[in-house]
Amino acid sequence: MLNIGKSTENGKAVLTLDGRLDTVTAPEFDKTVREVLPGITELKLDCGKLEYISSAGLRVLLTAQKIMNTQGEMKVCNVNETVMEIFDVTGFTDILTIED
Amino acid sequence: MKEKENNFFKNIRNKLAGDEIFHETEVHANRLGAMILLVSGIILLIIMILTAVGVFPLPFDSVFSPSIQAIAEILILLILCHIVKYDTWWLKYVLMIGLVFVYARLDSMLTHKVPILMVLPVILSSRYFSKNLTRFTSILSTAAFLFSAIWGATHGFINLNIVTMEKGTEMIATGGFIGEAVRNAGVSDSMLIRNTVLYDFLPRWLMFSVTAIISSNIVRRGREMVITQHEKDLKSARIEYELNLANAIQTDMLPNIFPAFPERNEFDLYASMAPAKEVGGDFYDYFLVDDDHLCLVIADVSGKGVPAALFMMATKIIIANNAKMNKSPAQILTDTNSAICANNREEMFVTVWLGILEISTGKLTAANAGHEYPAIKSPNGKFELFKDKHGFVVGGMNGTRYKEYEMFLAPGSELFLYTDGVPEATDPEGSMFGTERMLEALNGEASPDPSSTLNRVKGSVKEFVKDAEQFDDLTMLCVEYKIKSDNKSEE
Repeated sequence: MLNIGKSTENGKAVLTLDGRLDTVTAPEFDKTVREVLPGITELKLDCGKLEYISSAGLRVLLTAQKIMNTQGEMKVCNVNETVMEIFDVTGFTDILTIED
Repeated sequence: MKEKENNFFKNIRNKLAGDEIFHETEVHANRLGAMILLVSGIILLIIMILTAVGVFPLPFDSVFSPSIQAIAEILILLILCHIVKYDTWWLKYVLMIGLVFVYARLDSMLTHKVPILMVLPVILSSRYFSKNLTRFTSILSTAAFLFSAIWGATHGFINLNIVTMEKGTEMIATGGFIGEAVRNAGVSDSMLIRNTVLYDFLPRWLMFSVTAIISSNIVRRGREMVITQHEKDLKSARIEYELNLANAIQTDMLPNIFPAFPERNEFDLYASMAPAKEVGGDFYDYFLVDDDHLCLVIADVSGKGVPAALFMMATKIIIANNAKMNKSPAQILTDTNSAICANNREEMFVTVWLGILEISTGKLTAANAGHEYPAIKSPNGKFELFKDKHGFVVGGMNGTRYKEYEMFLAPGSELFLYTDGVPEATDPEGSMFGTERMLEALNGEASPDPSSTLNRVKGSVKEFVKDAEQFDDLTMLCVEYKIKSDNKSEE
């Protein structure tokens, strides 16, 4: 299960992830990202309640990062230990901007 | 000529029989029809008994013979159903004719008391989803019940509301119900018939028509639904067949004959892949680049199922082609990444661990593109995760450069590679297997060869997840480096 919270204001968007981002929930997140991103210059992903991320979820993060590379910046924050380890192992720490 | 005749009958037969896909539903409907016949027979028996003891004010003679006939007819039909095992195309017509006649007979005795009988056969006919059958039953019902109305007017349960009498007609009560006195008063049959048809049958027939229209609509919709469902079934059967075939192709793509290198005594290896769905995105690969270099690959494509499998096939080939050009592990991954990124609008990526073992020396050169840490066991030691340097996943970013590292495996070392399906195997309560449990399984009782090491991990994962559905592909590769090749080291 994954609950996605979103708020946009003046070209800034915040997406809050709550739950598991895996094969089952990734398509929904993908859809949300594609809906929210047009015209956004600053995207913040709040992973405070994100318990787990699978490769399908990473794929959506990569897509979002690539889109934001062309139109602004993307920050990932409040990453927990489990997810951070996955970012480390997969090398995503190199391409994402991760903040506390 | 004969053939033509055959075709003609075949056409008629097909028209009446309906399509093959309705066969099953027809057999069920036949059973329902037979059951209703049986119930009707029992009702007839009850009516006979009630008339015999005087509850119904009808002359027993007029009830006895039609009821016995109807019950006999029902018995014959039930026996027929049994003989053909409810499974002949014409049985539905015979059943409808039987039902209509039995009900028409009941109706002719009880007349206006049982108007609902007229609609029952048509409603039942809609269960067959056959337009012809419902049409046939409607016409037959109209004719049979018109006849029964006429017969019932003069012989059946009289409807006093429709009786008109000449002024001054005298009736003499004979005791019991008025109906009998009315019949005895000498009312004319033609009046009774005319009034019954006009005031009893006609309104009933109008209601019947509405039921028939509703029934034919049910037939049409039901037919469409059955056909749509059938098409869906065919489609999913085809997809299932194709997926099974795809599974076979994918399994065959991976080297899977063990022992893998029976002529080499320097090392032994074993690998397995179990996709969560029919096809998966994981793969392992191993091959000798040359006589002295063994290339080992384990990889995991993002996502699962068919898309992952397609991507996996391409990746496997690109990696193998690059590796066979004697490139270093980092170069192989760098070039594979460029090749994949050139055409990857779907943003698929793959994590890869690739190592090349120099058999003569035990030197392992490896590069890791976002893949799980390998587990390494030194001779007489334990399996431990080797936290190697990680590059970004392959296919993620164009221009990614990979770094490689070197290490020496002493004879007796083992290397265990796996995909995240192993540590992330989940039990019914939702907790993960984890690398700790994996290491525990690896370090259990000493195993004689890689295949038993691998099977032990597999068994441990299976025990852990219990009956939870396998969610991710499960892929493992285990190599034991046994001895340095003597001839090589002497050179």
